[in-house]
Amino acid sequence: MPNKKSVQLILHDLRPDAAADILPPSSARRLLFAASPPVHRCVGCFGCWTKTPGKCVIGDRGADFVALLSRCGELVVLSRMVFGGLSPDIKAVMDRSIGFILPFFRHAGGETHHAHRFENPPDLRYVFYGEEIADAEKETAKKLAAANSLNLGSGRSAVEFYQTVRDCAEAFA
Amino acid sequence: MKITCINGSPKTRRSASARIADALSAKIGGAAECVVCGAAELDRGEAPAAFRGSDALVFVFPLYVDGIPSHLLRFLDESLHDIAEAASGATVYAVVNNGFFEGRQNAVALEIMRNFAARAGLRWGLGLGVGAGGMIHAAPVGRGPLRNLGKALDALASEILANQTGEDRVCEPNFPRALYKALAHAGWRKSARKNGLKTKSLYAKP
Ligand SMILES: Cc1cc2nc3c(=O)[nH]c(=O)nc-3n(C[C@H](O)[C@H](O)[C@H](O)COP(=O)(O)O)c2cc1C
Repeated sequence: MPNKKSVQLILHDLRPDAAADILPPSSARRLLFAASPPVHRCVGCFGCWTKTPGKCVIGDRGADFVALLSRCGELVVLSRMVFGGLSPDIKAVMDRSIGFILPFFRHAGGETHHAHRFENPPDLRYVFYGEEIADAEKETAKKLAAANSLNLGSGRSAVEFYQTVRDCAEAFA
Repeated sequence: MKITCINGSPKTRRSASARIADALSAKIGGAAECVVCGAAELDRGEAPAAFRGSDALVFVFPLYVDGIPSHLLRFLDESLHDIAEAASGATVYAVVNNGFFEGRQNAVALEIMRNFAARAGLRWGLGLGVGAGGMIHAAPVGRGPLRNLGKALDALASEILANQTGEDRVCEPNFPRALYKALAHAGWRKSARKNGLKTKSLYAKP
């Protein structure tokens, strides 16, 4: 098993043909998770905290994401930019993944956050694509990455913007 | 005047969002026609038609991973042009409630809603971030720990009726943060027991 720090997980919303073109191949050090076609949406039941702790109770592949997340040192999210945030397909996976953290609260920087279920949560890197992304949307996206990394991850985040899916190949060069 | 409230919680009727939407529409009361529509209408694709002729669209939803629940986001994304066309003169307001105590943690989701309004070519009114959504069933809105929420919704109702815009705001319960945390933790342990689990198993690493 490779060292967790060196493992990268790529969550993306590309179609299979584009994914094959743009993304590096999967390997022991690089795990891929396709958010499209979309997984079932979260129903807000908190079963991932109180019924089957750490795993979503809905029985589709969306329930497998947390286990992958627990094995990686970096989560790269490749997403179409939607209103300054993640795309609906990506968001469906993220909403299904709060089992990655514990229901219990901790305090950090004057705010409440969740305690971690797994040691050494990953760094977050958000790679957005979209034509004509507005400046306001870029600002929102940076705040979102920072907030997500405080709750889900290590507290370290980075954000990049590209115009087209094809341009995103640069992010993996 | 027609005001449409959209409940964006997947829990629909049992949700904090439903209570907030009901309290808000009660305050708007006889002063305007106020319809509340939920996730079922969004799923069936009936929502844009229900929005027709609205002067205000008020999105009421829970904070999910610092953003918008995926089904509501999908609806806004896929129906952007239908919404813009059906409610072309509307002002957009949003009320987001979250599990943590601090109402300001809803700020990013409110920005996302503001960006949605810009993309739809609709006027942005203002947003309200409601902290400690877990308290919502502790009292009637406007009473005890929910006095601040009552006041915040009073103000929002008059702003909506006057078609006003403003700065985003936050609201937190009249209740100590430390006690909220203790109650939340006790609540998680209790639901675990109900499901036949020991507290220790809540920390499982499957
Ligand atoms: C998938 C999921 C993600 C959540 N993410 C957050 C979050 O990032 N921050 C937060 O304070 N609360 C978060 N919560 C808690 C909800 O916002 C809170 O329980 C809210 O009161 C639910 O509102 P509702 O009853 O209207 O659905 C999350 C809950 C779920 C189910």
